[in-house]
Amino acid sequence: MAPERLLWISCQRTDLPAAISPIPGSVAPLFLITMIKFLLMVNKQGQTRLSKYYEQVELGKRTALEADVVRGCLARRKEECSFVEYKDYKLVYRQYAALFIVVGITENENELSIFELVHNFVEVLDKYFSRVSELDVSLSKNTHYTNKVHIILDEMILNGHIVETNKNRILAPLLALDKMTES
Amino acid sequence: MSDVVEKTLTALPGLFDSQTGAAKITNRLRQLIKSITELTSKHEEENLIKKELSAMKEQVSSPNTTMKQMREIMVRAMYCEMLGYDASFTYIHAIKLAQQGAVLEKRVGYLAVSLFLNEGHELLLLLVNTVLKDLQSTNLIEACMALTVVAQVFPKDMIPAVLPLVEDKLSHPKEIIRRKAVLALYKFYLIAPNQVQHIHAKFRKALCDKDPGVMTSSLHIYLQLIRESPDGYKDLTGSFVTILKQVVGGKLPVDFNYHNVPAPWLQIQLLRILSLLGKEDQSTSELMYEVLDESLRRAEMNHNITYAILYECVKAVYTIHPKAELLEKAARCIGNFVLSPKINLKYLGLKALTYVVQHDAKLALQHQMTIIECLDHSDFTIKRETLELLFRITNAQNVTVIVEKMLDFLRGCNDDHTIIHLVGKVAELAEKYPFN
Repeated sequence: MAPERLLWISCQRTDLPAAISPIPGSVAPLFLITMIKFLLMVNKQGQTRLSKYYEQVELGKRTALEADVVRGCLARRKEECSFVEYKDYKLVYRQYAALFIVVGITENENELSIFELVHNFVEVLDKYFSRVSELDVSLSKNTHYTNKVHIILDEMILNGHIVETNKNRILAPLLALDKMTES
Repeated sequence: MSDVVEKTLTALPGLFDSQTGAAKITNRLRQLIKSITELTSKHEEENLIKKELSAMKEQVSSPNTTMKQMREIMVRAMYCEMLGYDASFTYIHAIKLAQQGAVLEKRVGYLAVSLFLNEGHELLLLLVNTVLKDLQSTNLIEACMALTVVAQVFPKDMIPAVLPLVEDKLSHPKEIIRRKAVLALYKFYLIAPNQVQHIHAKFRKALCDKDPGVMTSSLHIYLQLIRESPDGYKDLTGSFVTILKQVVGGKLPVDFNYHNVPAPWLQIQLLRILSLLGKEDQSTSELMYEVLDESLRRAEMNHNITYAILYECVKAVYTIHPKAELLEKAARCIGNFVLSPKINLKYLGLKALTYVVQHDAKLALQHQMTIIECLDHSDFTIKRETLELLFRITNAQNVTVIVEKMLDFLRGCNDDHTIIHLVGKVAELAEKYPFN
């Protein structure tokens, strides 16, 4: 084992709650950080459809991370829980038809609350896009769905923290933007 | 509920996969995604993307490219970067798009900037003027966008340039502006705490804001401040307790509900704050017993999100100064989780036990049969969490058995991180109990 890894092990203490998990190579946070590290939408073939990182991850490293993460989730069976321990943090995943939504979270974050946050997000998307599909096609002609999903996500999660969960408030800026673009 | 899920299931794949229905809309991005999806090798993908990127390079340098076209190019650039290919030649154009584009172009420009750039990137300096202009715009949508991007990515050294404008927004008549201003200031606090020292009074105003959304956004700042120094904020305990009481009591407008549960993530945030304030402080803890009891009772509904709230409640009860009746209720709650046939709840129960055993070893003893069953569970995550729990209840009597179980697990384990983590634990135990 490399010497720096041994150092990490000897730093672990038993009197601390399960929350603290020093990330090798980074500056140890002074206080327990609870946050969302990233959110991915990946299909069953492992192709990323949307990725949002709330922590610095080098561009070159992202695809490998995403492939690894999705592999971990695809290996899970239906009767197993929706949480996976991954490296020194956790993954919360939820499957919707052909799409996986995977959220990377710190150890001390509440897994079940994030599990439901994902569903809230999906419900917001449903609320917005089912409304859109009812509108005139010419209106949605140059609509870039991916942008809209990003914009919606930006209203919900900021800097890895949950900032808005009220569906009407999440959609208000986007609906105002749509209205302005129409005219 | 099943109606929503059905609609969503049919809608979602159509958003991203062009093979399914919604492809009435044809644009370059869809074509690109379609082509990528049809490829079979990484090599082919590389070639396709490289071609796409060189086409884009030409387009961005052409003087004839309109802002609308630039927006379209930006979307493709974001897609290429998402796949891991560098499109840095578009970064400057993203900023220009935010600067010169109409409202939708501006939003896409800001979005691209937030995805492409991160703290310390030199191009961010060029963003400052655009943000300053938009912050002062009479168009609320533009002001909102500017506040959002400021909270996402902004050069630390330029905070003084934009701070007065953001501060000013704290007293804006529209709640969304006030809310976003608070979040921007939270970001400033995280990256440059001394820049916002003087406005703590304004955070208090935000906490007491008549709009629940603004109040909620101030909680992010308070959670951080209280983590750093709980003593300075004990006087706010009463306020947090009152807010939680009102939320649990259903006083918020109905659109703050999620599946009939009032603002669950807000409840969780408040419970975390209260835990920090009540820790090792009897008089402060006494202020919160009633609302914790109420939360424990209200969360009896059968939904994942209420279980998530219960989990935080239980943690809070065990963190603050102990109260027998609450501890009893919390223990029962953990018991229900651990014994639940729902696997996600079982996991949460084990996690709660791990947290709680430091305070109450007897609880683990009560559930030892279930814990032993979980050790042999087919789900790796459950097994791993059980080992974590066992590690915490190790004593001179059971250490041999526990280490054996850990070694067993290690033999079947492939993941590097888990191996290192567990070997470390075994090593610690060996040190602690040398004669076994």
